[in-house]
Amino acid sequence: MAPGPVLRVLAFRPARQVLTASRQCAQRPFANGRQYAAATNTPNKLPTAPKGETNGPNTHQQEHVSEEAAKMAEITGGKGPDIDGQGTPVQDILKQDPEALKNAPQIVKDEMKKNSAVSAASGTKTGTRSFSTMARRLQTEVSPSASVADVDPAILSSMTLNSSETALTAGHKFPLPTLPLGPQANKDTRYDPVVQLVTNLIMREGKKATAQRNMSVILTHLRTASAPTYSRARSLLPGAPPASHLPLHPILYLTLAIDSVAPLLRIRNQRGAAGGGVALQIPVPLGLRQRRRIAFNWILDAASKRVNRGSGRDGFATRVAEEIVAVVEGRSGVWEKRAAVHRLATTARSNLTFGARRR
Amino acid sequence: MSSPLCLRCLRRSLQPLDHHAASVQRAAFSTTPALGALPPKKKGAANTKPTMRGGSSLKLTKNTRVASGRPPAPGERKALRKRVVLSNTNAIEVRHLQDLTKDLCKDVSALTEAHGKVVGLENETVDAMRALEAFKATQGWNLFRRPAVLVRKETIEMAETLHDAQSKKKTVSKVLYGSRGSGKSVLQLQAMALAQQRGWIVLHFPEAKELTIGHAAYEPVITENGTEYIQPGYTAHLLGNFARANKAVLSKLHLSQQHKLPIPIQPDITLDRFIELGANDPEIAWPIWSAMMIELTAPSKSDKGLQRPPLFVGLDGLDHIMRDSAYLDMDAKPVHAHSLTLVRDFVGLLSGSTKLPNGGMVVAAVSESNRARAPTLDYCLETNSGESKPLWDPYMPQDDRVISAFKNVPVQLINGLSKDEARGIMEYYAQSGMLRSTVTDLLVSETWTLAGNGLIGEVERGSVRMRM
Repeated sequence: MAPGPVLRVLAFRPARQVLTASRQCAQRPFANGRQYAAATNTPNKLPTAPKGETNGPNTHQQEHVSEEAAKMAEITGGKGPDIDGQGTPVQDILKQDPEALKNAPQIVKDEMKKNSAVSAASGTKTGTRSFSTMARRLQTEVSPSASVADVDPAILSSMTLNSSETALTAGHKFPLPTLPLGPQANKDTRYDPVVQLVTNLIMREGKKATAQRNMSVILTHLRTASAPTYSRARSLLPGAPPASHLPLHPILYLTLAIDSVAPLLRIRNQRGAAGGGVALQIPVPLGLRQRRRIAFNWILDAASKRVNRGSGRDGFATRVAEEIVAVVEGRSGVWEKRAAVHRLATTARSNLTFGARRR
Repeated sequence: MSSPLCLRCLRRSLQPLDHHAASVQRAAFSTTPALGALPPKKKGAANTKPTMRGGSSLKLTKNTRVASGRPPAPGERKALRKRVVLSNTNAIEVRHLQDLTKDLCKDVSALTEAHGKVVGLENETVDAMRALEAFKATQGWNLFRRPAVLVRKETIEMAETLHDAQSKKKTVSKVLYGSRGSGKSVLQLQAMALAQQRGWIVLHFPEAKELTIGHAAYEPVITENGTEYIQPGYTAHLLGNFARANKAVLSKLHLSQQHKLPIPIQPDITLDRFIELGANDPEIAWPIWSAMMIELTAPSKSDKGLQRPPLFVGLDGLDHIMRDSAYLDMDAKPVHAHSLTLVRDFVGLLSGSTKLPNGGMVVAAVSESNRARAPTLDYCLETNSGESKPLWDPYMPQDDRVISAFKNVPVQLINGLSKDEARGIMEYYAQSGMLRSTVTDLLVSETWTLAGNGLIGEVERGSVRMRM
């Protein structure tokens, strides 16, 4: 899966139906003059309809919003919405009713025929536009997050914070957020995506708070340890910042280490495909999250094989942090694992046509 | 193998016994010569190979441990865990950071102007506080370029109290309590730094837990209070800390009285050298400690005579000494913490039964992390705070020694920071490069609220440590 920005414009959307329903619920008892069993506190007594009322359920509907607004405007002397002018055009009724079309005036018939001829000539189907709104919709949603993507991941949180603060408008206690909201403005995405992924990978026995604590130990270690020295043999991701910048951007440090050793492919063993019960090795491309997951699991494996020099609860987290530093400095054995996978994938690339051959 | 000990007088032999050459022929208590011939071979045994598995337990190749490298020396792993790092070379140095200088410590109005700002500790103060073990590994000193503290409301109050105690030569006791992470220990450290900069003598018990959990050696002594217990090793350790932290002041003071000591002492020895004698030898640590306490609590001579500075005494983790200790007496009954002589001396100062004629301050802080259960202490804290009169469970015995110690001790509840103070410390975080966002009112307010109305430990956690 591509690391595309989350296509989310509004953090919350007013649920219209729910709102009207609750309004009905709140007002109906008073409108009907009924008392419900729960309200009277007599559970044995069933509710009875008041005498002389023959209405069934849903007969006392609320007025339409625009009707209500029109009435209100009439009272206050203003100009409300035009209800009468919004009737259904006769052409639409005639389209539905072929019997009525036969008896329609000739001028109407001619006009309708002309319109249908024009639409057939232009080749547009009914209910479609000649232009795409998709591109425009994507444009509005992607552009702010695209501008965010080329800034440091470490200051993302501050950017979203700043973008959510605008000038106070009259009548609002707190400043309104600018829309569309940033990629991390949702309440459920509190942490950086890499941090979230790594925290969940560190977690054992479902102890998330412990994992978060370990995560903070790792980041503190990256902050306080001396800046790494890049190795020439192992090239990191292109565009990596100077090594001296990393300690002050611990999340960038972590992301750089993980993304640099992340494998591009994995080997899928297709059983029996090579003939004679031998598995055929087929390289499969990986998505960003999968790549990061595999890379960090390798780092965890390497960290667990390190010797714990201290004692106490932060031992493992410290070893993981040391391994991350080792990855960036090119000392870690994780690089070998990545190279091995890539080598195998290169030799096995002739098997990529396996599916096509079978057909 | 024969032992190098002489079995008759239990002394080590000066000449090592030549057991390499002789041990084969010579058996320990036998005059019979060893048989020269080899034992006869068994018939079946010649053909059988040694089995892979010896013994009855299952041994797999996986189970064998491969020892790699040097094993950690005793105490090395703990030392690594408890190591206090006071500097982060990656952090940005905060420009225009005011220092907690001697002038600032003595001038309360200048300190009031710095309210809500962060001030750096001077090297001299840092060395003294480090010697007293006042910095702790959990306090987040390792994140910033150099040790610095926030001047909060309580700091200014503390400075005023110190000023009063010195000018009026009176003794002020105070017990700090409050939620976990509210900054009790660091406030105590600030008070010590202020006192040290004012030229006071500073004595500190960094962890009361270490006095009472029974890890230090102890021995009984008979005093006027009955049997009490001294802790020679820990006393020597404290004396060493004390001498290192106050070397500048103590080197100007001389021994002024005759004391009963187990070793001959040159008269007119400076106090720092006298205390170092005790620090180097646990055997004489306790007599030297008692002599030192007498010297420190003696009044100054009038006019041109020996002038003694005021004394600051601190203790962190008060809850551990307000209950029974883990030590046992001769009848295997738990020893009350106040029967340990070091604790007795501190409690005497705290309760005011030992007077400080040159003025001084005694500050004890309750620890909320790994807190010992001390119901009488809780009762006393609530009573002395004056907010309410707590009820005591009539079926539970009260600790009379704790009640009597707390008779006239004022207690102070440490709450969270104000929003202005929180803003000051968060700006310091941002200037150090540890908080990567603009410090806005909204951020300060949010952090302050999430930090339990501004508990400083939680402010730090929310804005630096756990902010990912």
